[in-house]
Amino acid sequence: MSESLVLDVRNVTKRYDSLEVLKGISLGLNKGETKVVIGPSGSGKSTLLRCVNHLTKPDAGEIYLEGEAIRDANINAMRARMGFVFQDFNLFSHLNVLDNVRICQMKVKGADKKTATHRAQQELARVGLEEKASAYPAELSGGQQQRVSIARALAMDPVVLLFDEPTSALDPELTGEVVRVMQQLAAEGMTMVVVTHEMSFARQAADEIIFMENGHIVEQGSPDAMFSHSDHERTRAFLNVIADHG
Amino acid sequence: MPEFITFGIKWLPELLKGVPITLSLWAIAITLGFFLGLVLTWARVYGNRFFYWLSTVYIELFRGTPMLVQMFFIYLGLPRFGIVFDAFTAAVIAITLNSAAYQAEYFRGSVLSVPKGQLTAARACGMTQWQAICCIMLPQALRRVLPQWSNEAIVELKFTSIAYTIGVVEITALASDIGSRTLDFFQIFLWAGLVYLVLTSSVASFLGWLERKTYVPGVTNV
Repeated sequence: MSESLVLDVRNVTKRYDSLEVLKGISLGLNKGETKVVIGPSGSGKSTLLRCVNHLTKPDAGEIYLEGEAIRDANINAMRARMGFVFQDFNLFSHLNVLDNVRICQMKVKGADKKTATHRAQQELARVGLEEKASAYPAELSGGQQQRVSIARALAMDPVVLLFDEPTSALDPELTGEVVRVMQQLAAEGMTMVVVTHEMSFARQAADEIIFMENGHIVEQGSPDAMFSHSDHERTRAFLNVIADHG
Repeated sequence: MPEFITFGIKWLPELLKGVPITLSLWAIAITLGFFLGLVLTWARVYGNRFFYWLSTVYIELFRGTPMLVQMFFIYLGLPRFGIVFDAFTAAVIAITLNSAAYQAEYFRGSVLSVPKGQLTAARACGMTQWQAICCIMLPQALRRVLPQWSNEAIVELKFTSIAYTIGVVEITALASDIGSRTLDFFQIFLWAGLVYLVLTSSVASFLGWLERKTYVPGVTNV
């Protein structure tokens, strides 16, 4: 195992009744890498991401975070080191923006209020929302809510960030602000796995693109290789469709 | 009308002696019922099959039988097994057990109405199931349940009057006693009604204030 391997997913499978959603997926992520997972709906991308932090429990396979296997016994500690950004934000609706970014630090990491507040303000500034600290989620636009949810994940000092279609629930004119934050994080060397249909992000920020279909990884490679001369007919067809719509 | 006032001046002080009894009976029972209701809800929503059924049977049993029967059973029936309560305690137990069943049903509805993603997000950042329920689920569910809960609180306040039947000296008991002495049931029960009205409207305004105070946009009005 490479010393800088942060996330190591080995042969993960998941089945819902007769439907095999993940058919033995493996992928590794070095420190500072951004990997973008693309593929048609139902290809298993989101399930894969949710299996990584056991929000969905894999049937088989192992997941290692910095060399340590994820088990039921250490699941909460492991999740605290993996930030997860949801498609529909899932900000805690009864808490204002500042408390949203503070609560996990205080409850999970045992940070005192002062430290948590300071850290929260830093991360809100990073996503450009420090002036919204006292607003409630319902008072924010979708793009702002998603940026808060990124700040909430960052405030935990995660070793890897997992993004599950972070722009899919947003109006087209609001995706830009979220994509910019993600690009900035990638440029700053954050380790990230991003499931997305944002091809501009994939092209610019990804170190590697993974194309999934029917629970398999069909192909993976650099953005350049994937976009300009993919070996697989299926990848080319998918990228063409996405390009037409995007 | 002047006669009504004079009657009131004479008898109201005695009638009001029942207010602390009525209020403490109510406050203790509604509070204990609140916590028992939460436990029943937890058992029904998050518990295993055994706890689910235990909670369901409890709720159906206490909602399906009259509170008066429950109170008589506890006060008059249980002594057969050597379990003897004074009248006040028996009334508190009956109202608590009955109210818990109703409160549990209201809580269950509001817990299920909180979007699932809230709990998922809490678990995703490393919170335990218990932390996620206490810090994320409950504060939202309790805000959502407040209008129905207020209704239950007021209904229970009025239900304390049936404790009169087992000899608790609360407002209704005192009114009945004063009625027998003055033979003016019309006036004394009119006064008793007024006293209850003042109590229930005070509780209603307090809970209305609490609802406004704890209001968070997007939590209750969705």
